[in-house]
Amino acid sequence: MAEGVTMKDGADADEGTGMDVRDAAAIMQQARARAEHELRISQSVLLASYGLVYLIGYGAVWLSVRGQRPYHGPGTAALVVLTLLVAAALAVTVVVAGRALSGVGGWSVRQRRICLLSFAAGLAGVYLLEAALFHAGASWSVIGVYGATAPMLVSGMAFAFSAALWPSWTVFGLGIWLIVVAATSAFAGPVGVWAVGGLAAGLALLLVAAVRPGLRR
Amino acid sequence: MSQDELDPVIHVPARLRIMVTLATLPEGDDLSFTRLQDMIGLTPGNLITHLRKLEDAGYVRTEKSGRGVTARTAVSLTYDGRAALDRYTTALRQLLDTVEPVPPRPAGG
Repeated sequence: MAEGVTMKDGADADEGTGMDVRDAAAIMQQARARAEHELRISQSVLLASYGLVYLIGYGAVWLSVRGQRPYHGPGTAALVVLTLLVAAALAVTVVVAGRALSGVGGWSVRQRRICLLSFAAGLAGVYLLEAALFHAGASWSVIGVYGATAPMLVSGMAFAFSAALWPSWTVFGLGIWLIVVAATSAFAGPVGVWAVGGLAAGLALLLVAAVRPGLRR
Repeated sequence: MSQDELDPVIHVPARLRIMVTLATLPEGDDLSFTRLQDMIGLTPGNLITHLRKLEDAGYVRTEKSGRGVTARTAVSLTYDGRAALDRYTTALRQLLDTVEPVPPRPAGG
């Protein structure tokens, strides 16, 4: 707040009519900055948490499967690390979004809920399909490639679509990047896909998380 | 242009903060009374008084829903309120262009 700005309630009298224009401008600036800070979902925090899922989680899986011939899937410890990181990222999403949207109602809140539910349904579908592929007799290699790339494809589509609702070329570009990484890293095979996909997606998410606060849109 | 031409309903510190806070929400969104009170830092009584003045001017809308623990009072800016704040902001900018800038404070003072 600018120095000298008094913040009287003015509930009982319209003493504000004597308020200096510079004070009024300072109050507006302060109120806008505070509202935008408190009501905004920190995308940097969310992007960083999902970046760590790819970088550390996929990295852990790659460490457990590298050198496997034939490929027979990640070890339990690596899967636990990946699952815990996904759970932590989801928890961060719920806390950050819940804090920003507490007390806020209306259409944009419903839009966000619809987006989150669509993303959650997409991920649930991905893992259900993985189980179906396994049940249908798909090889471990196919399961490995699918397991690494399908969630990335769903995330990429979610990012790209969300940029249409909350215009952001950065988020749109990130979504397209994730889709491209998901599709191309599959060619690295069931082992390499975890390293290539994890690095390309994780670093991109962390990079955008780092530069996002400085970008308007 | 003189300061008297600024909308007197908005040109009060607390009501200005209320209007600006509500204006940061997308159109069609609202804020609960308790969250607004928390962000503005007024007592419930003072906030009610200011909201009533803004509501009388047609600048904000309050809607109550639910009962008991689920009771919620939603506060939102009306179309007229958003337009009034735009006019106020424009007038304020014009006035700021005419006032002398505050001289910078001496360093180390």
